[in-house]
Amino acid sequence: MAQPFPYTYYSCDCYDSKVAPNPPKRASQPPPADDEDERTFDPRNARSNYSLYPLEHLLYCEDCQQIRCQRCVIEETLNWFCPSCLFEVPSSVIKSDGNRCTRNCYNCPVCTSPMTVNTLEDPTDPSSSGGPWILACPYCQWSTVEIGIEFEKHTGITSQLSRIANGGKTIPTAKERDKERERRKEIEMRKKDRDYFSGSEDSPSTDKDEGITPSHDDLFSNLSAFYKSQMASQTPSNPFSPHEINFSSPSSFSRIMNLYSSTTHKKQKREKPSPMREAASVHEGLNIHDPATDAAAIERIKRSGWSSTLSSSQKLAQPNPSIRFDSELRPVASLLQTKRGKRCRNCRHILSKPESKITSTRYKIKLLALNHIPRLSIRALSPIPLTTTQPVLYDYDRLRSGIPTHFLLHLSNPLFDPIRVTLATPSTTPGKIQSRVTILCPQFDVGANTDVWDDALSSTLSPIKKPTSIGPDGNPQTSIEAGKIWDRGRNWTSVVLEVVPGFLIQPLGSKEEEELEEDEDVLEIPIFVRLEFEADVNAEERGLGDSRGTEGKREKREEAFWTVVGVGRIVGN
Amino acid sequence: MSRPSARKAAPKGEYIETDSGNKVSRRSAITGTANITLGGRTVIMADVHLRGDLHPTRAVPSSSGKEVTPTSISIGRCTVISTGSVIKPPSRISRGQVHYYPMKIGDNVFVGPHCTISAISIASHVHIGDHTTIHPFVIIKENVKILPNTVIPANMVIPSGSVVGGRPARVVGEVGEGWGVSGGGAGVGGGLGVGGGGEKSWVEGGDLRELVRSIK
Repeated sequence: MAQPFPYTYYSCDCYDSKVAPNPPKRASQPPPADDEDERTFDPRNARSNYSLYPLEHLLYCEDCQQIRCQRCVIEETLNWFCPSCLFEVPSSVIKSDGNRCTRNCYNCPVCTSPMTVNTLEDPTDPSSSGGPWILACPYCQWSTVEIGIEFEKHTGITSQLSRIANGGKTIPTAKERDKERERRKEIEMRKKDRDYFSGSEDSPSTDKDEGITPSHDDLFSNLSAFYKSQMASQTPSNPFSPHEINFSSPSSFSRIMNLYSSTTHKKQKREKPSPMREAASVHEGLNIHDPATDAAAIERIKRSGWSSTLSSSQKLAQPNPSIRFDSELRPVASLLQTKRGKRCRNCRHILSKPESKITSTRYKIKLLALNHIPRLSIRALSPIPLTTTQPVLYDYDRLRSGIPTHFLLHLSNPLFDPIRVTLATPSTTPGKIQSRVTILCPQFDVGANTDVWDDALSSTLSPIKKPTSIGPDGNPQTSIEAGKIWDRGRNWTSVVLEVVPGFLIQPLGSKEEEELEEDEDVLEIPIFVRLEFEADVNAEERGLGDSRGTEGKREKREEAFWTVVGVGRIVGN
Repeated sequence: MSRPSARKAAPKGEYIETDSGNKVSRRSAITGTANITLGGRTVIMADVHLRGDLHPTRAVPSSSGKEVTPTSISIGRCTVISTGSVIKPPSRISRGQVHYYPMKIGDNVFVGPHCTISAISIASHVHIGDHTTIHPFVIIKENVKILPNTVIPANMVIPSGSVVGGRPARVVGEVGEGWGVSGGGAGVGGGLGVGGGGEKSWVEGGDLRELVRSIK
């Protein structure tokens, strides 16, 4: 999730708190371990990738009083829908038909873009139905004509497509397949009998009458039928159907007994299942590798080149991922999407719950971290005073090594209580390029958030001009003082951050240093944020916007988390 | 001699502001203005081309019997169309004739610089990155983020809450629950940075009123 500079990521410590033996229920309790305090967060750690999120993606559990990221929530599916036709698919259909749209939504097997149903009608000779119809890709111009498939109707593409094989031949339905299998089996049995009686030696010829290799679907249905028959022979009868109970069969008898006995008993009685027979012939789903098919494939590549083969991603998107050539492609039915609610993994409280209607984008419940933890943002402090109306755009992609640069760290408080903030950062950033970082004012107060209306009113006023920002001689440097905040507003405070970006090129003596890895030149500063504030004890019970004065007790609360501020990219001199 | 100096004396701003607060750049190219509706507080930046002249040609049955001007582009409130973008209603050839269809863009939509857009419908709170191409008859639902340099193939439907990118576009992720929520005291902190980036006081997919106000 690449974001343009500057950005701020928030770290969710759910992994660490899970490792800790007893996660503190309230953040106001003293931190459990000393070493956890000692350790600084390293944004370059491989694990950090999975704990850093933009603030918009984080939720907040008011009961645990902790940030909740995608790793520490439980998702529950509310409903399924097709992203292309936006129809809801009931869960019973998901169970029977799988997670793909069964309407007319197909994606191009070549480029994944959604396909449209087009007509091949000859305008000079219009047909009654308007057809024949094809699926065509508007992006790469691939169409089902290339695999020899045309449709009679423009609706019900899924059912039509399931009956047409590539090239236009019809695919037998499941029932026809079963019948065919039975027929084959009988023929084979008869042949076997005949061979047995006649003793003739022409049995190898029986394999040859198949002619073509069975398709993937044929094999699958054969194999599943075979396994079903094997399972049936394993468990002789259904213990729940009253007509077929066979008390003489020990397995069914033990099953019935198990229904009435306790679980411990059941465990003892469970016997080892006898091994099943493996599939032994084509009509049982056995596919014997034929070297001739390999030779044919090689021959085909020789003839039509690499362009006729498929990329691995194209293959994987196919229902049958073992195909090799573009003539075997099938349009891919679009995958369904879900609408999900989220719960806290610790206390199971609902953190977000969208309205179940597909068309609605509203949420019934949404507990955002945005509303509970301060928003940190950074921007460059331009070296010249902002006298001109045209803002000077700072190029965050070109930080100069070794030149001290000032940045403004801006903290805005979403809480309705004033907070005291303590910032901490390692003096040099982790990684190969060590930049020196100093927060000039690491401890400060941020005012409370108030109603939105005050916000709107104050915005009409002219922004507070800080008198110290322009010095007596117009030199802004005079105002950057250690231990003093830069500027503050109603519910925000900004402080100055001094950064000396490190050097890309190592000193000449150490030529053997390995090359910089990707994104090693990105200046990311880990900043530890600790908040102290007093809140109503039952703050989570009352609504956030509700400002009625509860005369309840105030309690001291504390919250702490790591953030990573991506400042920019360092360039050499 | 006097005329240039008079022009200098009364310098005109970059934008013409309408009664409903729309800001239209003097350097934008708008054709068929009668067929374009702007919802108010909408910004059309320089070098934007709105093809309002490509309107539906089919006779609209009107009850009053008088001629109704067909709408070709309708844009909602607080929508920003950045420099160099082209908005062109989608067309389809039917029975040998080109037919244009009216397109609709919702509220608080941000269209980045140098996009070409022919979608039939773009809902509200959509953020479109720069150099994006949207082919005809695309439908984009609410709260969608389109990454820069994306090409969205024709007739694609993008469900709400998606992050879309690539050529051709596919859904690559979901926007977080906090998408477009400028809460957390993201007020106008002295014009200082709140929101995703450092120097903007608005969030992608959120209310663009602040952005519109800041454009002068």
